[in-house]
Amino acid sequence: MNSQPKPNCLLAWMSLVLTALLWGGCSDSSKTAGDAAKSDAAPRAYTIGMSQCNLGEPWRVQMNEDIKNAAAKHSNLKVIFKDAQNDTLKQRAHVEEFVSSKVDLLIISPKEAQPLTEPVARAMEAGIPVIVLDRRLLGDKYTCFIGADNKKIGKAAGEWIVKTLGGQGNIVELMGLQTSTPGQDRHSGFLEGIAGSNLKIIFSADMKWLEPDARKEMESALSRFDKIDLVYAHNDPGAHGAYLAAKAAGRTGIKFVGIDALPQEGVAYVSQGILDATFQYPTGGAEAIETALKVLHGETVPKEIVLGTRLFDKANVAQGGQELN
Amino acid sequence: MNESSPIQTRNRFVQFGSSPAGRAFLALLLMLLVGTLFNADGAFFKIGTHRDALRQASVYGILACGSTLVIITAGIDLAVGSVLALVAVCCSMMAIHWGWSGWLVVPVCLLVGCASGGLAGVVTARLRVQPFIATLALMVLARGAAKYASGGMKVSTAVKNASGGYDYVDVPALFRLVDTRILGGNLSVVTVIFLICLALAWLALSKHSWGRHLYAIGGNEEAARLSGVPVVWAKTLAYVASGMLSAVAGICQAAQEQQGDPEAGVGYELMAIAMVVIGGTSLMGGRGGMGLTLLGVLTIGYLDKILSINAVPEAGRLMLTGIIIVTAVLTQQRKRT
Repeated sequence: MNSQPKPNCLLAWMSLVLTALLWGGCSDSSKTAGDAAKSDAAPRAYTIGMSQCNLGEPWRVQMNEDIKNAAAKHSNLKVIFKDAQNDTLKQRAHVEEFVSSKVDLLIISPKEAQPLTEPVARAMEAGIPVIVLDRRLLGDKYTCFIGADNKKIGKAAGEWIVKTLGGQGNIVELMGLQTSTPGQDRHSGFLEGIAGSNLKIIFSADMKWLEPDARKEMESALSRFDKIDLVYAHNDPGAHGAYLAAKAAGRTGIKFVGIDALPQEGVAYVSQGILDATFQYPTGGAEAIETALKVLHGETVPKEIVLGTRLFDKANVAQGGQELN
Repeated sequence: MNESSPIQTRNRFVQFGSSPAGRAFLALLLMLLVGTLFNADGAFFKIGTHRDALRQASVYGILACGSTLVIITAGIDLAVGSVLALVAVCCSMMAIHWGWSGWLVVPVCLLVGCASGGLAGVVTARLRVQPFIATLALMVLARGAAKYASGGMKVSTAVKNASGGYDYVDVPALFRLVDTRILGGNLSVVTVIFLICLALAWLALSKHSWGRHLYAIGGNEEAARLSGVPVVWAKTLAYVASGMLSAVAGICQAAQEQQGDPEAGVGYELMAIAMVVIGGTSLMGGRGGMGLTLLGVLTIGYLDKILSINAVPEAGRLMLTGIIIVTAVLTQQRKRT
């Protein structure tokens, strides 16, 4: 092999350091939502810290967006956002930073339970109420948990499909990553929902939440089976990928159902006639601010709030969907 | 041929079988045989299955063409997947949100790819940073740029309007053109694009002096320099070409997804490298070629398709893919001992 001359070692190291900086840097993108109480007549101003585990997912970007929009309606709320970029220890540091800067309330959407339980408990001990969003922590040292139930959503999707197909037909299931809890729950809930009907799952594959993979798997299903009535995908991009595959193959008469219902994804697909239905996996952002205000005003809040889902289909998408419980 | 005795024919066959091309070809034949055995109720015998296998392999294949050029210089390009995402995002913004014509979008996208590749090339060839590190840095940088340009959201046909709602625009003509089929619906346009890229890269590598320079650099960079090969220039150009091909792949990806996803292409660089290596191009540089890469692309592409039509669970797929890559590379290496 060609040996590099000495001075280049330095360059190599410098670029390594640069890479490290690129990875580690710029994590504390703090934005303020709602200007903190300008006039003296305004109610007491509160600062809320929001620790997000990963802004790489559009759904979590939406969660922050929901929190920002909800907080903007209250001029006395100021929200500081931190993104841990899918790094548990970074998120732990963010929680500790919020505690030492003495925010009035902490909202956290934790990356994982075990390593973040203690830092959150310490925030509680320091007198800062904590609202946990979407993923759970261990124990009960938090003020309130707000989250949705994937199993319930999967079941609702299953029941809707039974009703829409009249209880029989061939189904292709494109599953989210099966080593992840949402993927498993959306599958088992769906099985519960279609139990007792004559629906047959003729092809199921793990598309790992990825649209290109969903398209690939759907192509395989199309080349194997001449009669497919409906595709149930565990997320909207998956359903969209399946739709593109069927359209390219010139196959018609297939219905497509997805989950998540982000405004610019699933809901948009339903409005455009691409998907037949999508079930919302709510971010809980607006509810978190609502609950935060109650906590800050000294009202009691339930320990756990399970969010319902919304159905968006062709009939109701223009009216903003239909609440399911 | 018509004059050759059976023994000569046999010798020729053995010779072919022990050449890199012969081994890669055997691997592909073996893969097709596996397909006919596990044909998923005859799905493997339908034309559509093969068209789809080729479509699926095309984006990887385009990346593999660029990686071949770089690997022949004993380099490596880890940034192709991120550059693909960056270009997919840029392409979608220009074509969907700004409504630019394809005649403008494609050149700008290629320019973005060339610039990214050029950056890696200059850092590697001119500043002599190891290609692994230089392209690792570009991989992170380009991914960050893709997220920055898109604001972390997919750039789709739902365009946010001033009142906070969404307007739906048509899928641009460029996307429709790339994601369509020709020859009576039996060949995807992306596959044609892949074959054109492959042909151009093959011409450059085996018919142009630049290609000979790449082989010389990969064989022995110092010797190449001493014999007058413009090492810095030729190497930089290899990374520029890889960047440009990543841009082509990015356009194909955006067209097929009908959106620009800043998270697209994660792990594609490893797939591209695996395809190059399974074909028989050496990671040590100086040996290999585009024909081999084509065989590698087809082998992995068909492996993927066979696993998919048989609905093999994910865990099994990963293990089988790993085993097959190692086996294929081992058979490739036997000739060198």
